[in-house]
Amino acid sequence: MTGMSMRLRGRSWLVTLLALIVLVAVNAVLQPNLFTGTVLKSNLTVFLPLVLVAIGQTYVVLAGDIDLSVGAVIALVNVVTVTVIAAIGNGVGAVLLGLLAGMLTGMACGLFNGFLVAVMRFQPIVTTFATGIIFSGLALRVLPTAGLPVPAPYWRTYAGSLLGLPVTLWIFLTALLLVALLSWRPFLTHLAAVGGSRTGAFQTGLPVARIRIQGYVLAGLFSAFASLCLTGETASGDPLMGRMLALSSISAVVLGGTALAGGSGSAFGSVLGALVLGMIGNVIFFAGLPFEYQTLVQGLITLAALAGGVLVAGRQRW
Amino acid sequence: MPPALRAQGITKRFDAVVALSDGALTVERGEIHALLGANGCGKSTLCKIIAGTVLRDGGSVQVDGVPLEPKRPADAEAAGIALFYQELSLVPQLTVAENIFLGHEPRTRAGFVDRRKLEDDAGRLLGPFQAVAGSGLDLHTPVARLAPDQRQIVEILKVLARRPRLIIFDEATAALDRRQVEFFFRMLRELKAQGIAMIFISHRLDEVFEICDRITVMRNGATVATYPAAETDVNRVVHAMVGAMAEHLHPPQVERPANEQPRLVVDRARGRRLRDVSLTLRPGEILGLGGLQGQGQSALLRGLFGADPLDSGRVNLDGAPLRLRKPADAVRHGIAYVSGDRGRDAALHGRSIFENIAAASFIRERRVLVWPGRLAERFRQAAAALNTKYAGLEAPIGSLSGGNQQKIFIARWLATRPAVLLLDDPTKGIDLAAKADFFDLVQRLAAEGASILFYSSEDAELLGLCNRILVFNGGAIAAELSGGTMTALHLTRAAYGDAA
Repeated sequence: MTGMSMRLRGRSWLVTLLALIVLVAVNAVLQPNLFTGTVLKSNLTVFLPLVLVAIGQTYVVLAGDIDLSVGAVIALVNVVTVTVIAAIGNGVGAVLLGLLAGMLTGMACGLFNGFLVAVMRFQPIVTTFATGIIFSGLALRVLPTAGLPVPAPYWRTYAGSLLGLPVTLWIFLTALLLVALLSWRPFLTHLAAVGGSRTGAFQTGLPVARIRIQGYVLAGLFSAFASLCLTGETASGDPLMGRMLALSSISAVVLGGTALAGGSGSAFGSVLGALVLGMIGNVIFFAGLPFEYQTLVQGLITLAALAGGVLVAGRQRW
Repeated sequence: MPPALRAQGITKRFDAVVALSDGALTVERGEIHALLGANGCGKSTLCKIIAGTVLRDGGSVQVDGVPLEPKRPADAEAAGIALFYQELSLVPQLTVAENIFLGHEPRTRAGFVDRRKLEDDAGRLLGPFQAVAGSGLDLHTPVARLAPDQRQIVEILKVLARRPRLIIFDEATAALDRRQVEFFFRMLRELKAQGIAMIFISHRLDEVFEICDRITVMRNGATVATYPAAETDVNRVVHAMVGAMAEHLHPPQVERPANEQPRLVVDRARGRRLRDVSLTLRPGEILGLGGLQGQGQSALLRGLFGADPLDSGRVNLDGAPLRLRKPADAVRHGIAYVSGDRGRDAALHGRSIFENIAAASFIRERRVLVWPGRLAERFRQAAAALNTKYAGLEAPIGSLSGGNQQKIFIARWLATRPAVLLLDDPTKGIDLAAKADFFDLVQRLAAEGASILFYSSEDAELLGLCNRILVFNGGAIAAELSGGTMTALHLTRAAYGDAA
């Protein structure tokens, strides 16, 4: 193993940070007004949902699991929220209750996933693939077609400002604060322990199943946050919302230096990963390349991140 | 005052196998108590039951006079019991400090991890060990980067950090060198002075007599005797471990020309668990690998199969040097490997019996395409040679019992007509009838000229089947038994590192 890969081990998010800086620089050249308030704010609005889902996904991946259902959770949370708001009547109280219902829905989805995976011992990939289909089905049952606009106070607040800063920025900062608070808790070490060595964690006396479930519940909750942000942007219900976000969130987690096998990584890294994925879209747009290249490039970058992870971690023999 | 631990009449069965029929152990406060026995006597199971990682079927456990019914490790821990795991319970990605306090992180009032206290406390535990730990054992190092002896020290510290009142050390000295062991013993004596009770399991009898107050011996799942260490000696203890085990008749020595070229020569093989192992295997010979579990026997076999390549050392097959970097290298030279861990090492789950047998032949014969019909007859013969009971070659492997599955995996190798057969505790979990068939076959193969390296965790199997036995201890060959020295007594004694 070379000296550099040794030093990079566990810090591959530094590479992602570097990539982000380069992308921002390129973007700034292509789009001279990048650093104006409105452009930054619109960028953040676009990136925020993926940032939030990626944070949630990190907690599942750290424990050695994966959640493919987060996209469907976003759709389900969206339709539940708009339906609850519409049912209660379009006041501020209704909006707050709708938000609460959305968050509870996300957590319930996470609890369901966690129960199947950690208690019933189902295989995480296949299980969350299946529950994703179930959640999509439920979303279509709740709201068969797009529509059902949310009341103005909802989307006006989301698009507005608080104490001179955009609300989206406040949400972003709050999410970072939540990540920091979580990372200081013993819980995060336990999560990494469960992902790093399940037997070791069990023999140490950690409640392995409970920890894995908590990871899934966090993923559900952060998916709900993402959904509520998307709802603030689109201002209506859409049972097909968030389809692409499940796989993008995994890309962001990988880019952020979290090992897909679990045990090491950080949600801050995933935030960087999500921003890199977003900036790639920007650069491609302003470079005048066809939009279709965006997905292709994001895929290649994710592959490169995986390859980098293999180089840093050292190769297995088979 | 009630004893620190009193376990009585403990029973446990795993499916059909009785692991414990009458386990009993009493440990006083401030005592270091050795638990000894041959392989499979149940000592590890008894310890795991006390520590709550295995649930007992019957019997009672009392800690300081209070009944203990652990459902999970955390329950036993709450009662002040800590187990040093032979296989180690560390998380490779976490740092030394994080591992030591995993699940017991000191917290600030806000419920966050108190990093400073964590590192101070870990530093205080680690400090005394620094002198003997070698370089690179630092609080912030991920455990993945530590050497085996350093990991073992971290596991010891992790146990101590729990401030337990009863500690079970299962082979806690296995990877330590003499200086580290001495340091560790000094620590044990301090703990003893504080009234902490300890159970000590080790494959080194000299260590047992050096540090322990009393010795309890187990045999065949039951406790047979407890001695004060000062009033007994190695002989009595080893006899108690072996019991009145019938002396087995060795198979007749096959007459071979004395100048015959050896089939397999291993010269100073080294690996993660091997220290300079050398051996010579002749055609038609069954060479046993004995000793307590995990002393390097499997490591040698897996090394010779290329599954866990050796770090250094020479291997010659029929006089020609061999490079074994992956299993395919071994297979193409006619080396076959049968593992007791079928699920991990052998089974192609969900595939047919035909495919499971064919796997090795493809590699040996470098086949690309096959005519199943032509191979089927050969496979049927191989399976029939083992009295395998199966519905048809197309039936899935999972439809067979453990014993019949194992026969299929042996048939896989028979179909390649191997020159060297590596048997890695192959009879684990198979029934007696299947075992008998299996041993018949091994003897038949040897009579036909195949060379066999046979590791078994059951001493009786080794004594009953082998021409010679190499006894492993701590990754090296401690003794070679043949002819008159092939007795259970000699085997057990050598396994515990007492070559006398």
